[in-house]
Amino acid sequence: MDIILQVENLKKNYGKITALKGISFEVKKGEIFALIGPNGAGKTTALRIIATLISPSEGKVFFRGRNIRENPDFVRENISYLPEEAGAYKNMKGIDYLKFMANFYAKDSREANTFIERAVNISGLGERLNDKVGTYSKGMIRKLLIARALMTKPLLAILDEPTSGLDVINALEIREIIREYVKEGTTVLLSSHNMLEIEFLSDRVALIDNGRILEIGTSEELKNRYSSRNLEEVFRRVVQ
Amino acid sequence: MKKFSNLLKKEIKELVTAQLIVSLIFTIILFNFMGSLIKSEAKKGFEKRNIYVLDLDRSNLSTEVLNNLSFGNFRIKLVNDLIEKEDKNLAIKYTKENNIDFLMVIPKDFEKSISKFKPKEVEIYSFIRSLSMGSSIGSSLINQVIDAINRFISNNFLKSKFPEVDPEVLKNPIKSKEFIVVKDKLAEGSSSQVISMIYSQSIFIPIILMMVIMFTSQMVLSAIAMEKQDKTLETLLTVPISRKQIVIAKMMGAGIVGIISAGIYMLGYRSFMGGIMGEVGTSEITSQIIQKLGLKLTTSGYILLGISLFLAILCALALSTILGVLAEDLKSAQSMILPLIFLIMIPYFLSFFSDINSLSLPIKIFVLAIPFSHPFLASSNILLGNYSLVFYGIIYMLVVFIILIFISARIFSTDKVLTMKLRFGGKKLFKKAS
Repeated sequence: MDIILQVENLKKNYGKITALKGISFEVKKGEIFALIGPNGAGKTTALRIIATLISPSEGKVFFRGRNIRENPDFVRENISYLPEEAGAYKNMKGIDYLKFMANFYAKDSREANTFIERAVNISGLGERLNDKVGTYSKGMIRKLLIARALMTKPLLAILDEPTSGLDVINALEIREIIREYVKEGTTVLLSSHNMLEIEFLSDRVALIDNGRILEIGTSEELKNRYSSRNLEEVFRRVVQ
Repeated sequence: MKKFSNLLKKEIKELVTAQLIVSLIFTIILFNFMGSLIKSEAKKGFEKRNIYVLDLDRSNLSTEVLNNLSFGNFRIKLVNDLIEKEDKNLAIKYTKENNIDFLMVIPKDFEKSISKFKPKEVEIYSFIRSLSMGSSIGSSLINQVIDAINRFISNNFLKSKFPEVDPEVLKNPIKSKEFIVVKDKLAEGSSSQVISMIYSQSIFIPIILMMVIMFTSQMVLSAIAMEKQDKTLETLLTVPISRKQIVIAKMMGAGIVGIISAGIYMLGYRSFMGGIMGEVGTSEITSQIIQKLGLKLTTSGYILLGISLFLAILCALALSTILGVLAEDLKSAQSMILPLIFLIMIPYFLSFFSDINSLSLPIKIFVLAIPFSHPFLASSNILLGNYSLVFYGIIYMLVVFIILIFISARIFSTDKVLTMKLRFGGKKLFKKAS
């Protein structure tokens, strides 16, 4: 399997605070790779660096073999990043928001229409897309943003806590959307502190705590290695 | 370019909200309404006034005085024939009942006293029925009535004593001839008239400057603060468009909306001020003097003023972009604009009440260090031919703008765009991601 993303000894300091203490991992093409860990473990910092939002203090990240610091434009053209607390422009209609975002990625209006059509299908928001985003519920905004992130069929979709703050039904729907879309060739790198969700969703996971990666493997491998019934138990044993 | 125009369109759409349009329309309607109201009130005040007179003397002199007043800005109406008998109280009662504003009572023995050089009191009653501006202007006419009577009587006296001399020459034996010198140009005329005419014609320049700079700054601050508040900035920073283009699109969008809003606002304000000041009467002679002295903005003068204003707007936009990054949300952006308003208000008030050249050196340096001071000073410097000061101002603002735009582009291309925060009452913090 091709390696799409390679993270080498990544460190990040915010003044005196060290958010990442040298993490390394690889993401293979077409898989769902999850960073799991408690709040403040360093998941968002890692994803932000990979999405070219912030720069690392040390270490390197390669996307399709290219150093992301030297090729930020290449990275931005081929990834989609969904931040944990992302919002959309409240005064825009849902459909206009999708059009606005599609125009950054599409080569022409035909391709933009294809992206929008896909987003409409992914979101499942139907006629509500003609309403202003300001009238949407949290779940609807999240579906709109997921649709935005996946509509361009990016090589890598970076999803930070994709179901954070959503009710059970909405969270399930979003998980299904992500699962469905990986089948179409998109690689997903996501983070979550919901370990049961990750167990259901991801192919491989990295357990991260206090800025360090403690374990990497499939859910089954980790459960066997630590003789645990689920990832929560694995995490507890790894941390102890 | 396609991506940039996509972003620019979005910036403009985000700023042109229904609230903005409604508030602009409301402002124009309000200003127009206030302006026309003030105008009509002021007009009433300057209309020819009816003066009701009770002449208890019925002498030649009192008749002559009243005839003379009729030639002035007064319409004389004798009350004597309108009441039962010639009595002051009856006259007051009559004027009260008939909503009359002014009543003048010429006392008995008026002519006799005046001829013996004993001042006699002419009573004037003004009835206040409202406290509007029109009433205040009307009441000032009382002084004009007294002046007119005094002038008439004293001129008559002087004419009888010195028939061969003009009474005005006796009263004002010295005549003056004023000249105005501007650099190497000289013209005959009153400096106060010229200055007040230039002032009345250019009073809008500092107000326009202030409005435009404040509107555009507010717009760019809001644009960035809104991205932060609505949590859309992170997504925007990961789309395939350069950070420089994001900064420029934000500044351009805010600049366009800000200038249009300020323009619309100024139209309303101009109509309001037109009401207060009335139509500025342009005296032909004063216009000729202004022309002769070269105190008129030429095309190149307007271009220089335009460049100066444009650079000031760019400086304000770049500075607001930096302040916008420091703001956490729309609410804190409102506080962020305070230092900027302060920097604009200093030259704004100075341009009205003082002359920069008369300030002490440290204050002068401080004022000139504020980039927004230069367009405020530019119009008078252009009129007075001090072009070098205008050019220095333009170069200075260009340098400041380049530095500010470099800083804002740098902030946007680093982590600081997401981590920098300024909290009032606290210190600068760097927010740590989880």
